[in-house]
Amino acid sequence: MRLDLTILVPHLGFLAEGALLTLEACVLALAGSVALGMLVAVARTSASKWANRLAFVYVDLFRNIPFIVQLFFFYYGLPEIGIYIDAFATGVVALSIAGGAYASDAIRAGILAIDNGILEAAEVSGLSRRVTFTHIVLPIALRTSVRPLGSVLINMILTSSVLSTITLNELTGNARIVASDTFRPFEVYVVLLVVYAALTYLVSLGITLLHRRLNRDLQGQVS
Amino acid sequence: MRFAEFTPFDLVLLAQGLGVTIGLFLVTSLIGLLVGVLWGVVRFYRVPILMQLVTFVSEILKNSPVLVQLFLVFFGFPAFFHLNVTPVQAAIVTLSANTAAFVYVIAVSSIESIGRDQIEAARVFGLSRWQVLRLVIAPQAAAFSIGPLTALLVNQLQVTSLISVIGVMDLAKIGATLNLRTLKPFVVWTAVGILYYLTAKLVATLGARLERRLRAHSAFRCL
Amino acid sequence: MLKVENVKKAFGPATVLDGVDLTVNPGEVVSILGSSGSGKSTLIRCINGLEKLDAGRITVDDFDVSRPKELAEARKRSGTVFQLFNLYPHLTALHNITLAPIEVLKRSRAEAEAEGRALLASVGMGDRADAYPAQLSGGQRQRVGICRALAMKPRYLLLDEVTSALDPEMTAEVLAILARLAASGTTMVFVTHEIEFARQISHRIVFLEKGVLLVDLPTKQFFSADGGLAQPRVAQFLSKMRKD
Ligand SMILES: Nc1ncnc2c1ncn2[C@@H]1O[C@H](COP(=O)(O)OP(=O)(O)O)[C@@H](O)[C@H]1O
Ligand SMILES: [Mg+2]
Repeated sequence: MRLDLTILVPHLGFLAEGALLTLEACVLALAGSVALGMLVAVARTSASKWANRLAFVYVDLFRNIPFIVQLFFFYYGLPEIGIYIDAFATGVVALSIAGGAYASDAIRAGILAIDNGILEAAEVSGLSRRVTFTHIVLPIALRTSVRPLGSVLINMILTSSVLSTITLNELTGNARIVASDTFRPFEVYVVLLVVYAALTYLVSLGITLLHRRLNRDLQGQVS
Repeated sequence: MRFAEFTPFDLVLLAQGLGVTIGLFLVTSLIGLLVGVLWGVVRFYRVPILMQLVTFVSEILKNSPVLVQLFLVFFGFPAFFHLNVTPVQAAIVTLSANTAAFVYVIAVSSIESIGRDQIEAARVFGLSRWQVLRLVIAPQAAAFSIGPLTALLVNQLQVTSLISVIGVMDLAKIGATLNLRTLKPFVVWTAVGILYYLTAKLVATLGARLERRLRAHSAFRCL
Repeated sequence: MLKVENVKKAFGPATVLDGVDLTVNPGEVVSILGSSGSGKSTLIRCINGLEKLDAGRITVDDFDVSRPKELAEARKRSGTVFQLFNLYPHLTALHNITLAPIEVLKRSRAEAEAEGRALLASVGMGDRADAYPAQLSGGQRQRVGICRALAMKPRYLLLDEVTSALDPEMTAEVLAILARLAASGTTMVFVTHEIEFARQISHRIVFLEKGVLLVDLPTKQFFSADGGLAQPRVAQFLSKMRKD
């Protein structure tokens, strides 16, 4: 019963490869989530009843069904309808769709928080709805939702460990291989816990910095 | 197993899986609630060392993937401590601890929301710290934290699906079995997803009802 | 010519504008006075198309604001300065000014920025072009707000209590700029509580009371005993404002 972490040293490179894949998948999925989240947020703030309803159903469904069920739905289901994409792509798609349901809430809150006077100023100066959205609404909403979007990313990093169940060799997947190769699962998984905690800590630190940088200009705005 | 069509017996299987999911969800939620509140009390009394330990453990649990925590308990503990750990035992330990970590956070923030001054005021009246906790804090904290607790439990219900990975025959595992046997992923995962969705909605509804009742109760007492 | 004809507007059961008529000719400065709640802001918001009319007609150089096809043209001809500035918080002072010229008038970026800088310099803010609104004082923000409206080269400038969120010193800064604009022939519809200032710069003064235009007179007559002051409501309003 001795905790001997040195046995992991030869496998560090392999684990780092996994960590890299985890980050790749999460960064791609974050982009996907934000894109999807913007669409859904627009749909939910739009006047169209149908778009509204559809967006609500999407958010409600994907927030209340376990990610692993969603993942298997895509992983086993997509080939059924003739879509053959690899485990990595499937994982990114599934993470994006699940993350989008959360990102949309963050972005929607950001949109709703925009001072109406600012939108009126844009309207009377003749800016089209499209330009108002791309040049004013979105940039402001994204800035104010940096923090909640950061939480989406952190959750995504934790959730991405589930991708190991569809044979993707991200961080957890590779750790499973190391655990069975070395017969030292305890050491491997203890280290893995700490690595994930450190990773999410670093990300949250980065987000705080980004938030501060982006919102530096917005602070102190009188209402 | 040969590929085969669905049989009426599959419904029984699904029901069984759902039973296992709900059963483990209830058991681990209850344990998690008790342990989490206990940790909150440790913090309230500012027990040295124990308090730091609790904070550290809860941070690690919140910031690492539940799947890795499961692997640590299921694969790591037997190898390191030479124990026998069944999948169900591993599931109960891990999910309870994970729930406890989040309950702890809710407990701490709801105690803080009641405010030091209210606590001080009660102390001035000569109440002991235990009396303050029981008579002043607990009732208010309970009402305050029902909302966040409900959200947490809806989330933890979905987290239970991960125990299928270590072989517990819960709803997700039954889904995987049926998926392999029938090769009808869309049907299987849609059915499983709907069952999870409905259960989540049930939890949310019960939580909302309880919250309304508690609110009405405390409003009545304020009169 | 900016023409408001028999305009009516109600919010639910409350009638806010009750048959307002007003004509503003190019080169004129027209001040709108009236106690708070009398419908001054609503009138401005009807002119720039932020509120729909219940009845009547508003035309800006013959473009009818109630016709969706003509609203864009009407809006190009008027510029609005807001009480609470309503600057875009994520854009610098310069980009607040250049956004609409670039996107609506399709000016080149270089051209728009050169004009934007010139405008900022003309209000004494040449060195603050790259500051964000949050880094500016209230008076500076409102000066940017004025530049933003002017950058569209509007024929009519609509100003709704543009100094009421400012302290006296900043108010003076902004009024000085407006006085210069008035002197240089800018057409303005000027909602204000700064009565003395309105008296100095306006050609005409109109008085709004409970959604009705009670008085519409040349400035001199408005303040004379047998003109505007003959109206008890106007006299009451002016004496109250002077006391405050
Ligand atoms: N969007 C609105 N909804 C309902 N009532 C409004 C709205 N805007 C203005 N009002 C009401 O219309 C009246 C006139 O308002 P306003 O035009 O802002 O007056 P003023 O600018 O002269 O102070 C006020 O009683 C105000 O409460
Ligand atoms: Mg007003």
